[in-house]
Amino acid sequence: MTTPSNDEITARIAEVLGVAPSRVRPEVVLPELVSDSYRLVEMAIELQDDYDVIFSQADLSSVTTVGDLADLIRTRAT
Amino acid sequence: MLLSDDELWALSYYRTSEINGSLFFGRLARTLKPSPIQHDLTKHFADEAQHAWYWTDCLDRLGTRPIKMSDAYQDQYLEAAGLPVNLMEIMAITLVFERRVINQYARHLAVPNVRAEVKETIERIMEDERWHVQWVRDALTGMEDRFGKDTIAETLRRYKAADREVYAHTLAEHEARLGFLLDAHPRAPED
Repeated sequence: MTTPSNDEITARIAEVLGVAPSRVRPEVVLPELVSDSYRLVEMAIELQDDYDVIFSQADLSSVTTVGDLADLIRTRAT
Repeated sequence: MLLSDDELWALSYYRTSEINGSLFFGRLARTLKPSPIQHDLTKHFADEAQHAWYWTDCLDRLGTRPIKMSDAYQDQYLEAAGLPVNLMEIMAITLVFERRVINQYARHLAVPNVRAEVKETIERIMEDERWHVQWVRDALTGMEDRFGKDTIAETLRRYKAADREVYAHTLAEHEARLGFLLDAHPRAPED
């Protein structure tokens, strides 16, 4: 699998969350997009499945923004 | 004879926990791609929904209605252990939780003079719960190559510690209501 770009990942995040792509910008903090913690879990599971990566609690504790999440996926998918 | 307030509360608590379990697994089943885990998880969520119905029906047959509750046992897990962030962690927390459920229902069955309707409901649910433990345990074994056996074992230890904390907290918080269960000694404790 080729390493996905940040744009591809943010587009996928928008799709998974069912929000307008224009809302999913790198600087946006995730709680602005996901108010429900269960939805956050679902999103994490779906993205790991899509990009064949594994997140740990430590990984996600350092993720605040969409950009952080995209960077994490890109790093792991490399 | 009508249920005591404490029994009604306990049975309503079980019902709410089954509903919350079903909703959680249902959402997850919707999220996962087709796989053996998706298959079993879908049955699991259907079982939990059915269990919520069994409790609702049990309460009806006992001449009463469930108490409306918002929080369930599972919510406290997430506070104590943090949100599971991958499928292995979800399976691990589920295994620990299912064992707690079996243990709790076994304890309830050991209450002297447990009502026939309650006994029948628990025994019916327990058949499914044993399968839940089995399939989740198998799923975790199947994840050993991907996540590592040691990581899975450590995750289970973490969630077991959280479970003990949450259970002790629940008993302390609802000591008056659950007092009738505290003296019950199940014949075959699970942990």
